[in-house]
Amino acid sequence: MSPTPEGPAEPAGTDLPVGSVRRPFVVALLGNPNTGKSTLFSALAGIPTRIGNYPGVTVEEKVGRFTHRGCVIDLIDLPGTYSLVPKSPDEQVAVDVLQGKLPGAPTPDCVVVVADATNLERNCYLATQVLALKLPTVMALTLSDIAAEKGITIDAAALSQRLDCPVVRVVAPTRVGIDALGDAILAVMNSTPQPLPGIDAHLATVDAHHAPAAREAIARYAWIEQLLDGIVQRQPPIQRPLGERIDELLTHRVWGTLVFAATMLTMFSSIFWLAAPLMDGISSSIDWVSEWLVSLLPPGAIRSLVVDGVLAGVGGVVVFVPQIALLFLFVAVLEGCGYLSRAAFLMDRLLCGVGLSGKSFIPLLSSFACAIPGIMATRTIANPRDRLLTILVAPLMSCSARLPVYLLLCGAFVPNVAVGIPWLRLPALVLAGMYAVGVVTAALVSLLLSRTIFRGPLEPFVMELPGWRWPRWPVVLERVREAVLSFLQNAGTLIVAVSIVIWALASYPRNEAAIEAEVAIHRTTLTTRLAGLQEDDSDHLELADQLAALDTETGLEAVRRGAAQRQSILGRLGRLVEPLVKPLGWDWRLGCAAIASFPAREVVLGTLGVIYNLGDVDPGEAEGGTALVRRLKAATWDGTNRKVFTLPVALSIMVFFALCAQCASTLVVIGRETNSWLWPVVTFTYMTVLAWLAAFATYQLGTLAGW
Amino acid sequence: MSLERVAVGSEARVADISGVDAVSLRLLEMGLTPGVNVRVVGAAPLGGPLELELRGYRLSIRRHEAARVAIAK
Repeated sequence: MSPTPEGPAEPAGTDLPVGSVRRPFVVALLGNPNTGKSTLFSALAGIPTRIGNYPGVTVEEKVGRFTHRGCVIDLIDLPGTYSLVPKSPDEQVAVDVLQGKLPGAPTPDCVVVVADATNLERNCYLATQVLALKLPTVMALTLSDIAAEKGITIDAAALSQRLDCPVVRVVAPTRVGIDALGDAILAVMNSTPQPLPGIDAHLATVDAHHAPAAREAIARYAWIEQLLDGIVQRQPPIQRPLGERIDELLTHRVWGTLVFAATMLTMFSSIFWLAAPLMDGISSSIDWVSEWLVSLLPPGAIRSLVVDGVLAGVGGVVVFVPQIALLFLFVAVLEGCGYLSRAAFLMDRLLCGVGLSGKSFIPLLSSFACAIPGIMATRTIANPRDRLLTILVAPLMSCSARLPVYLLLCGAFVPNVAVGIPWLRLPALVLAGMYAVGVVTAALVSLLLSRTIFRGPLEPFVMELPGWRWPRWPVVLERVREAVLSFLQNAGTLIVAVSIVIWALASYPRNEAAIEAEVAIHRTTLTTRLAGLQEDDSDHLELADQLAALDTETGLEAVRRGAAQRQSILGRLGRLVEPLVKPLGWDWRLGCAAIASFPAREVVLGTLGVIYNLGDVDPGEAEGGTALVRRLKAATWDGTNRKVFTLPVALSIMVFFALCAQCASTLVVIGRETNSWLWPVVTFTYMTVLAWLAAFATYQLGTLAGW
Repeated sequence: MSLERVAVGSEARVADISGVDAVSLRLLEMGLTPGVNVRVVGAAPLGGPLELELRGYRLSIRRHEAARVAIAK
């Protein structure tokens, strides 16, 4: 069997033979979650030919194509579901596809029901529902190898007779039974199965006080018990399989919790630390390319557009790929091991307290590294309300881009005193405090929203805890590939566009005469301030340095660049919003830097550098950071000697950054994951308002308290 | 007596599921039907969900969901 589209040549005309490229057989693949369905899909059809969402819903559609004995078959991988009674969008889509009611999706010619051999009773629930649809059906018994390890034997022939459909034992990772499955699919294709009468007899025995749906569920299980009588034999194996012993470790009260904590810690730190060198590598490559372009192109608007606009934008997108890939690698491995559910199980109580559920844990934890993969990871949350709520609060988890801001400001403006214990220093405490601000705010927002706008019946947390199994690498790698491609295609293009717009706003209009005039004013201001200071004043050295810098090539260029930005649209916006940021203790320069960092908060330090005439110096590096700190400490309100950067101001900046949605990439991803433009707008609005209020409170309280 | 009160490590037989809503249907569909044997394997810390074993697999449900499962004496 080869996963390539070939087939017999088809004649012209409306009557195309089924099983050809033009009119392939359509087979639906259905089954419970955690049954190895994805692995089976891979084994049959390889890499999917189409992945997307079903129209109008956030349910994923996955279609692949393969050939078997010359016939072309389209395989539709339906979302994992426990029942065909529609209670969620997933189940609704599955039912619609099977009945051919979904626009654009043809009625399947055949259904393959995947049943987990270790768990046949519950899997038969869905299988018997599917059989009742009277579509040609084949049952694929997956995980037979694991079942054998556990000492479970299934009489497939007898089962096939009782269900009146082919039952094929498969071990997808090693491709055992795949050909037989293909044969069975083709064999049933042209048959019309008869409905099994069994369930009616049992319906009569169920108590009448139950609702109809409940009666059917009870009757169905009674019927299944009768159906499987004698078919499933359990014999405790001679040697306990490794998987079972690992399982015991993971579910142990003490060891299990320790393993859980260790796993989460590893995942979290690796996204921080492992991704860092990769991200640095990407940044360096982008820098290298931009230097090459700078040497290649003549100075001017085009070069600036290409280097500072397009290349910077592309770099800003590609730099996220390592974190996304790493996170999804972890999530896919955990999912493949069956461990994801266990993590949700352990954290459910805590998250219920704030209106979420256990399944939100991993997306929120990941958001501490970067909200983008965290928000993408919410795809594992089936309940749309929970998913949306998680997406809305994920950006409040202080991501790694905020860290440089915290570090710089804490280091520069928080007094380095001990608090209680000698090795507990105030700057470290404030740093932790900023993270806490994000978490506490997220908890409060989640609580509030879940009690008001998102109030609704609590989603049942009835969740299967699959046993330990070894992750299948093709499936894991496929998930990573999907996630990265999805990000690049959907979010990447928009982020580059936004970067170009911001570049334009920060570069134009550009008036050389006005720039020179501003440079002259700057020189005069420095001279005047210096004249009013004593030689031993702390700022004297710094201001003298700044004045001297004006006589150097680089120094002059840096001041010119600062002036150009201040005169650009962005700079004017900064001046315009000065009344808005004054209550926060900020002057217009800070307002300017804040606005410039709305698309991407990581540029704030660089922008501050430009505004304070440091030019291209990178404040992220030690030397540049020190230079920036000196400038900030010496900065005064225009025309006065009053310092701008006091402790309350530094705190208000950090609090603002902790809570504000300054990441166009995140907003774009929110839009793509929620299939709407409303939620990014809502996120931006509520976070910015919260950020302003919190920064205001921080500054006013801090000033009142005399910090 | 409800499933929520069953001690960790013990077995019980389901008598009935109370209420008529998405939760009760979900519990039934996952196999918690009258007459089935259930074993309480463990519980998540801090009053979190219970881990059950039934029909050959493991299921987790919150305590207030377990409170709706009446067990036979």
